[in-house]
This record gives sequence, structure tokens and C-alpha cells, in this order.
Amino acid sequence: MDVANSTWLWISAAPVVFVVLLQAGLFLRRAWKNGKEMGLSDEQLETGLRTGIISAIGPAIAVLAAMLALIATIGGPVAWMRLTVIGSVAFELPAAELGISQLGYGFGDDGITETAFATAVWTMTLGGIGWLLVAALGTPHMEKARKRIVGGRNKLLPVVTSGAMLGAFAYFVSGEFTSGAPEMGSAAVGGLVMLSLLKVADEKEIQWIREWALGTAMAVGLVVGMALHTVAGGGW
Amino acid sequence: MYESNFIPYINRWGRATSLLAVALSFGPALALLTVFEIVPPTGAVVGGFLSVAVTFGLIWFIEPISYYPVLGIPGTYMAFLSGNISNLRLPCAAAAQESADVEAGTPRGSIISTIAIAGSIFVNITILTVGVFALVPVFEAMPEFGRNALESYLVPAIFGAIFAQFGRDYPKVAAVGLCIALSMTLLMEFGFLAFLPGLPLYAVILVSVFGTIYVAKLMWQNGMIETDS
Repeated sequence: MDVANSTWLWISAAPVVFVVLLQAGLFLRRAWKNGKEMGLSDEQLETGLRTGIISAIGPAIAVLAAMLALIATIGGPVAWMRLTVIGSVAFELPAAELGISQLGYGFGDDGITETAFATAVWTMTLGGIGWLLVAALGTPHMEKARKRIVGGRNKLLPVVTSGAMLGAFAYFVSGEFTSGAPEMGSAAVGGLVMLSLLKVADEKEIQWIREWALGTAMAVGLVVGMALHTVAGGGW
Repeated sequence: MYESNFIPYINRWGRATSLLAVALSFGPALALLTVFEIVPPTGAVVGGFLSVAVTFGLIWFIEPISYYPVLGIPGTYMAFLSGNISNLRLPCAAAAQESADVEAGTPRGSIISTIAIAGSIFVNITILTVGVFALVPVFEAMPEFGRNALESYLVPAIFGAIFAQFGRDYPKVAAVGLCIALSMTLLMEFGFLAFLPGLPLYAVILVSVFGTIYVAKLMWQNGMIETDS
């Protein structure tokens, strides 16, 4: 599918990235100016910027590793646009999968059509604007909304969020479990590697392990999937 | 200064840039439509959108409200426009507030988190832009077997890993959720959901997501799970 990596797609993906840069630039300049007027020292402002930059390097490289999965499935330009701005791997991958599954395909199927690819792009685009619209229109009212919605049930919110995420990803994992032995192996091992790495990171308090947990889980899962494919074929 | 000058500026420009980004995010979809004349079936796009809305619709509202106290007003605009919130923006903002010695949730804390998130955005865009131009040719030069393996077996590992990550906090909810989703998926695979109109994917998603939320709520009410916040 040459369309997915075509020059036109690169060109069409670039403007939104520039808007994000523009917003970051405007906010940075204004925060710097007002910060000084509020009595923050040059040193504090510089420390804030430097820490933000340094702390972003590790996670950004980790995002790059996960981006390979999106490049493999929906091509470079869309993967680039969705992950430099707007989304995260945890949303974009499921959204793309939901898009192509509308036409009965799964990732890695032979002969995924241009139409299925376009459906995935539309699904990711439309699905991603939910957050953008809530943030664009809702941010000034967030304090009030928060009080009204959460009320006295402050602790229920994380429960509902986790329930929703777990339900959604249980669905995606189930799809992998039922599509074949290599997929099932990859998903199960990916989960186990993630669990063990996060456990080690928590116990020893090593931040970089946490940042690299997803990348490592991906790599090990990929190898297990390939091995099972070689040994046992597709499974069921 | 903060309330009367900084915040109005941020609200004005935050809204304008976010809405502009909504419009421009249609770029690739419109390029496919106009340049390549690929018109996906309306039903598939609507179905795809509805599936995403069912899966993530609640999260659209819960996430901004949950992260708002940490991110502040400028941080909320920036983080939801630039994405990668929990793995990138939040840690950067928190680390910067710590090292600049300002308190989270205060106006000064919000200034520092704004500056830190801006810095993280420049870094993220630079690294991913350089990276994607390096990775795409590598991927295209790979032998068929390697490309197929990447297309087929990276995604399951990511889904498994993210499920595990969320499941760590609530293992009981994770176990029940997986049972619900797996039973629904098998019911669909064996054709027991064929009585529903269209591709019954939406039924599987709906039951998985809301079933799991319901179970989580029940467990919480009965003291079977604990929240630490």
C-alpha cells in the first residue's frame, strides 16, 4: 500500500504539528514573562524548562519504539501525526484496529485494502477529537464541572476510569486470543513482561525501567509471536 | 496577575489553537478523499466512530477532569493537544515543579508546569520526527517475513502490556473484565450474536466496557477493591 507512505500524506499531516508547536511557543513565552512578574527567578524558570526537556527524552524514545507498531500498520505519516501530537499508543492502535475491523480485516491480514486503511484514518481522526473538543471548550469550566460531577464521590472516579480502560483492553486482548496461537502468545507474554518489569521498577524505584517497560514487552511479545508462528503455525 | 492576565490569555489562545488543530487533524483523511479519491463506506466510518465512542467516550470526559488538578488550565490545553499525557506530560510537569521548588496546584506551580510541558513538546516532536524518517525506510527495506511479523505480533504484545498495566491496580476487576470480553468475543466468533443487526462488534465492546465498569463499581461498593488516592 504505497498511499500510506506517500508524499501527499506527509504534507497533509504537517500543519497540525505546526499548530501544536505554535501553541507551545505562545504559552512558553507568556508563562516566562508572567512568571517573572509573579516573582519567579530566572533560575527557577530555566530549571523548569531544562527539567521538562530532560525528562521528556526517555519517554519520547520509548514512544518512538511503540510508533514502529503504528508505522507497520498504518504507515509513517499518520503514525507520526497521531503520536507527535494528539494521541498516545493506547488510543491510536485500538482506534486503527476498530477502523479496519469494520471491513472485516485484522492487523497483519494479507491484502488490507486502501478503503480499510482510509476507514482506519477516519476512525482515528473522528475518535481523537473527543478529547480535543472537551479540552478546547471545557477547560475554563473544569473546576465547576469537577465539583458537580465528582461531588463527594472523589474515589469513584479512578474506579470508573480503570473499569472502562480494563473493559476496553480486555476486549482487544480477547480479539488477539481468539485470532491464533502466535497472537495469543504475544499478548500473554507482553502482559507478563509488563507486570514483572513494573514490579521491579516499583520495588527498586528505578524510573527508566518504567519508561522502557512497554518497549521491552513489545519486543519480547514479538519474538514469542514469531517463534510460535514458526513452530506451530497459525494455531486456530 | 495570574488570574487577571495570564489565564485569560491562555484561555483565548488555548481555545483558538485547539479548535484549529481539530480542523487540521482531518488533513490526512481529507487528502485520502481528495488526492487519492479513496471513499470509505459511510457505514464503516460511522461504525468505526461509534465503536471508538463506546470504548473511549467516557474517557474523553473523565481524563481531562481527572488530570486537571495536576495539569492546571494551561497544562490541560497543552497536554490534550499534544497527547501522551500519563507517560510524558504528567511526569515532566511533576519533575519540573519538584526541581524548581514550586508547589503543584498553585499559580507558580502552574507557570512552571506550562514551561516544562512546552519543553517536553519540543523534545517529543523533534525525536519522533527524526525517528519516523529513520524508521520508515528501515521498515520498507525489511524482508517480507519481518514485515509480516511486525504487522501481526507487535500489536497483541502492546494490548497485553497495556491491559496488564491497568490491571495491576485492580487485578480482580481485570480478571472479571477479561472473562466478560472473552465470552462475548467467543459468542460472536461462533455466530451466537448473529441475531443483532450489522457486524455485532459493537455489542461485544458495549458489554465488555460497561460490564467491567459495573463490576468495578459493585466491587468498590462492597469493599472488595481499594483506591489509594
